[in-house]
Amino acid sequence: MNRWLLFCVTTLATLAALVLPSRAGAVDRNFAGSAQLDYHFVPERTARDGTPQMFEGFTLESAMKLSVDVSDHFSANVKVCFGCHGFETDMAYVDYRVADELSIRAGRLSPSFGAFNLRHDPANHRLSDKPLVYDMGRMMRMRDWNQGVLPSPFPDNGVEVSGTHWFGQKIQLDYAAHAVSGFKGDSTSTDLDFVQSRTGSLYYVDNNARPAAGGRLALTARFSQFTDATLGASAMGGTFDPNNDLTYLIVGGDLSFRFNKVNLRFEYLLRRQEFDTSQPSRFKYDVPSNGNYFLKHGGYGELEIPATRTLDLVGRVDFMYRSGNLPVASPLQARSGVFRYTLGTAYTIERGLRAKFSTELWSFSDEGVTGRHNAVSAHVALVGAF
Amino acid sequence: MRPMMPVLPMMLAGAISIGLFGCPSSKNLVANGEAVDTSQLSPALQTDYLVFSQRCSKCHALSRALNSGDRDDLFWQRYVTRMRRQPASGIAPDDEPPILRFLHHYSESLRADRGGQK
Repeated sequence: MNRWLLFCVTTLATLAALVLPSRAGAVDRNFAGSAQLDYHFVPERTARDGTPQMFEGFTLESAMKLSVDVSDHFSANVKVCFGCHGFETDMAYVDYRVADELSIRAGRLSPSFGAFNLRHDPANHRLSDKPLVYDMGRMMRMRDWNQGVLPSPFPDNGVEVSGTHWFGQKIQLDYAAHAVSGFKGDSTSTDLDFVQSRTGSLYYVDNNARPAAGGRLALTARFSQFTDATLGASAMGGTFDPNNDLTYLIVGGDLSFRFNKVNLRFEYLLRRQEFDTSQPSRFKYDVPSNGNYFLKHGGYGELEIPATRTLDLVGRVDFMYRSGNLPVASPLQARSGVFRYTLGTAYTIERGLRAKFSTELWSFSDEGVTGRHNAVSAHVALVGAF
Repeated sequence: MRPMMPVLPMMLAGAISIGLFGCPSSKNLVANGEAVDTSQLSPALQTDYLVFSQRCSKCHALSRALNSGDRDDLFWQRYVTRMRRQPASGIAPDDEPPILRFLHHYSESLRADRGGQK
């Protein structure tokens, strides 16, 4: 279906749902949304061979979401986003909750993975951009690195079974297990093809008949009324090529603390990525018999402090590391790494409306276009949620 | 890879300066930021609000709920239950009553501001 037609249909359906009376059938509808306009200022030249290595200047992320609670057990969500690659359906699913401990979700959904993805909407996190491991488009040298470990969001068609259980008032245990289409790539791919994984021009259908699977387990402990901590572990994996020959496996761990309104978060992700080695000449280094994969991993630590009622301070350190073979033309090495240090503020202009400012210091193990290892960039953004 | 830690204090100063002085002061534009002016709440509702503001700001800003408008009790009950079931929400079943009491009061006050019109 044409993307514009899909957008128009979704918008009309949303408006109709809002206009129609809801009390008669006790069906509750909630329309919400957000928009963030970010300006990313990068002083140094980053284009390589005429191709921009990152998204500089203005970028827009906006979303509209309709949630419908049909009954106490049955609800549906539709969320349409507009970002750097146009309109995208981030959510289109139904939930059937048998009990707190058992809920079934089916449709287009973001599989449960990690701690950050739940807050991926720019209105829900205080910095303009995402942690490096979840980066989609704002990373410096993103084409050299082919984005983060798991670019967020990652909506996909499939089903997820999940549940939550409280042991008393102190311990919450969550689980989720999913089966989705999975990421895509060609049979000769040297990495996941994130464009192919989400573009409508190649159809929103699986490129192989085998679903990818994964899940998440998390434990939240409440130490006091204002203090809690969450420890989580996630995994997803499957084949990504049409022949079901090449696999990817992503695992992650996360630990977050909340002291009153102060948040301290840590997260680590690792992806083991297989690639086709049938033509060794395509690669930069010799291909040993067990050399058909690379590892890409990274993590971040983030501290978020509300300094006043209107001003939040955020500090983040994140890193990413890649080891393994590469296409001949890649500027990366057998082992390449990047560190990024970010400091930022989020200022509440009015309830639901924030201005975000941040500066980023990048330190790469490899030289960039200008021969430097380090770079600086800055973000200024305005984000509103309704 | 060369560490860049000495530059961090400069970045911190810059980011805070922009945040503090690059924007209008809060007195001019914002009375309460994301939060609610609790001085107008009864002591019991202030306690309820504390639960609401702590639990419902873990994954999103409070404005997500507060800007939803004046909704009825059934709407809020389903909304809060759906949020409680989110992974690692930190919202225990016993947190629901105080959160719902506050949201009930909040919706009523919004309605009263508009002369009782829904």
